Amino acid sequence: MANSSPLIVTDHLVKKFGEKAAVDDVSFTAYGGEVFGFLGPNGAGKTTTIKAIVGLLQPTSGSVKVAGYDVQLQPMQAKAVSGYVPDTPNLYLKLSARELLRFVGDLYELPRGKTEERVAELLKLFDLDGVRDDLIDSYSHGMKQKIALAAALIHDPKVLVLDEPTVGLDPKSARLIKDMLRQLADRGAAVFLSTHILEIAERMCDRIGIIDHGRLIAVGTMDELRALGKGERSLEDIFLGLTGGAEEAEIAEVLK
Amino acid sequence: MTGAAAHPAGWKEPFHPEHSLLHHVWKLFRLQIAISISTFRAARLRRKIGTIVLTLLTLIFAGVVFAASWFLLGALRSPELAQILAEQGQPSLTPFLETMPVLILAGAFGGILITSFGVLLQAMYLAGDLDFLITAPIPMRAVFVTKMLQAILPNFGLIALFGLPLLFGLGASGGYFFLYYPLVVIVLALLALAAAGISSLLVMGVVRILPARRVAEALGAVGAMLSILCSQSGNFVNSMHWDEQNIDAQQIPIGALTRFNAAWNPLSWPGRGLVDLGTGQWSTALLFLGVTLVLTGGAFWLSLRAAERLYYTGWASMQTGSRKKRTAPRAAPAAPAKSNAAATFLERVVPQPVLGLVRKDFLTLRRDLRNMSQLITPLIVGAVYALFLFRAGGTPPAGRGEAPEWFMQMLGNAMIYGNVGISLFVGWSLISRLGMMGFSQEGKNYWILKVSPVRTVWLLASKFLVAYLPGLAVGIVFLIILSLVQGAPITVVLFGLAVVSLSIVGSAGINVAFGVTGANLTWEDPRRMNSGWSGCFGGLFSFLYMGISLGFFFGPPLVLSLLGLPEIAGQAVGILLGGAFSIGCAVIPMGLAAPRVARIGMS
Repeated sequence: MANSSPLIVTDHLVKKFGEKAAVDDVSFTAYGGEVFGFLGPNGAGKTTTIKAIVGLLQPTSGSVKVAGYDVQLQPMQAKAVSGYVPDTPNLYLKLSARELLRFVGDLYELPRGKTEERVAELLKLFDLDGVRDDLIDSYSHGMKQKIALAAALIHDPKVLVLDEPTVGLDPKSARLIKDMLRQLADRGAAVFLSTHILEIAERMCDRIGIIDHGRLIAVGTMDELRALGKGERSLEDIFLGLTGGAEEAEIAEVLK
Repeated sequence: MTGAAAHPAGWKEPFHPEHSLLHHVWKLFRLQIAISISTFRAARLRRKIGTIVLTLLTLIFAGVVFAASWFLLGALRSPELAQILAEQGQPSLTPFLETMPVLILAGAFGGILITSFGVLLQAMYLAGDLDFLITAPIPMRAVFVTKMLQAILPNFGLIALFGLPLLFGLGASGGYFFLYYPLVVIVLALLALAAAGISSLLVMGVVRILPARRVAEALGAVGAMLSILCSQSGNFVNSMHWDEQNIDAQQIPIGALTRFNAAWNPLSWPGRGLVDLGTGQWSTALLFLGVTLVLTGGAFWLSLRAAERLYYTGWASMQTGSRKKRTAPRAAPAAPAKSNAAATFLERVVPQPVLGLVRKDFLTLRRDLRNMSQLITPLIVGAVYALFLFRAGGTPPAGRGEAPEWFMQMLGNAMIYGNVGISLFVGWSLISRLGMMGFSQEGKNYWILKVSPVRTVWLLASKFLVAYLPGLAVGIVFLIILSLVQGAPITVVLFGLAVVSLSIVGSAGINVAFGVTGANLTWEDPRRMNSGWSGCFGGLFSFLYMGISLGFFFGPPLVLSLLGLPEIAGQAVGILLGGAFSIGCAVIPMGLAAPRVARIGMS
């Protein structure tokens, strides 16, 4: 790891919707220079945790610090150093890719020259240079996903938070994103990503957190997670062992 | 490997061709009923009570309409009234009363035909459950019929709520034959089905030429414009000055209405058939109702047959249709060095995020038809009002009589200040729309602003500027044109420019503040951009504000000129007083709304 300062720290994070706790007493730290994978079954609380980290949701209790700044108390500082890619890339459809990236550059107060430079670099990197002046309205899901990632990277964030970043991407784009995230971490940033694809988590992530029913049930490197399990080797087996999966008999019953 | 061989014993095909269309329609309709029941069950207690109270009020309303029409129509049919009218040489009202069912049924048909286009487009092509329904083993025709019923039921319900009690009241007051009542319901339902069928054919045809989403956007824009224009129509009619000489002209529509009930008019046949049935004229009743049944049934059958071919192919081509490449017009040059002095000055004075937000808002407003409609309509309204002002002449009425010179002078000035008023009105209506939709316009993209380091005050400032600047530009243009046409003195024009520039500051602030409280990020229809009562209160408060601020601006010059003192001194006082009031009215509401900005989109 190029850097080992704590860049994302959640401390007893709780988020309730009515009586239901979507996130229940979650504490973990993601360090600079690492890719932190966040796994969990559907509805486990991954997206809620992510939204609390980027300031889209206000925690019921507990705190989130990004690069040392409390997201609720020092939101401007925390947001200035982070980038976020949501699971659904809702973007301004009536802007072109270039206009959107310039706009995001303005929001982060980048000097105009620097913005233009970054826009050109990112569009080229994501192979969107040829459609830079087309309205986002006409883009495919994968292209929108790439533009959302480019927008999150325009200010060169210290912390990058991604919710299911590879969903809807072709293998080439998925590979590009995986390589890019690795490089970003190698340069000292903390990359925090949620994914359902265990192969990605196993190959890319330095450490992994597993959340189930709103509670963080395991955090550690692959070796540490293996030590927690009952002799399982693969992440899939460890994950299913911790969160519980359907037994063969149950599957057979349903498919009979 | 064949499919059948692969299945274990006891496995049944999930598709049953022996099931009728009605069976499948009912299956899908049951789903809608289940969704409605679940929605009601899951709603908060306040909403449940509201729904029950609204249902009861609706029933009471229908009962009152029925009783009132029974009583009133009975009175209009009374032999005493007929005798009085005959004595005065006036025609009997019976032909007009018998035209009523014709008008109601024709109105219902036309109403459903026009209003169902948009809802059918939404239900048939843009509904979220279509993928699921089309891939399920359900006949396409059943999906079509269910979607059609689902789309027209609310409009049909509304028409039935007003139409049925009136038609039943008419029957009761005229002592119509009992078969009249069930047939009223049947004919109304058949007309609704036929209208929806024709409308659906139109939708299916249009979708083959234009993308459904684009058509929906255009419809939303037209709908929003029409609704605002309709809301202003009362004012236009009032300003047409109906007077005694026009009474004859007002009687013309009644004659036209009775002429509408002619045998050659197909739209009159259902109503004529029902009246003839009620009054026991069996042969003509049978003829008119029979033809109605054949025509409406035929239209519905035709739409069903066409749906079998057109609906699926239209939907499928929508899925595979290549995205039309739409390029952003006038892509800005990349070189920052070329930016002109004004832009550089702006960049120094205005925070970068505010400039970025304003630029982005103007780009998206210009390119999104749904937003454009919000801007065009106030301009149309303003232009029409300005025309009325020109018609009025803008000069004091002739024939001063014994009025003193100073009074006529003051009246003349007040008339010229009317220019400022009309310019402010146009600016105000534009600002109302832009200010109220400021935050809602972000929609589902609001997360981009939320995760960025943008201060609340910058967000509010950008939304304020997006509302203020076009309002200012339009207000000034209107003022200059009106002043030129009316030959207003330069001092009044300059004063007017200052008033317009300052007065709309408060209006923009109030509307932006109410836009924060009623921000709705999940809107689809531009008419529903603001949730709750905020739109209503925003309009009301900013209108009140406009009246009071005009008092502050115009009061001092008018009073000083009344006292024989220099008007220019009064104008200066007016600008000071009005300006302070206006800025206060912008800053205070936005300050009060600021804490709520952080909570937008948190739910």
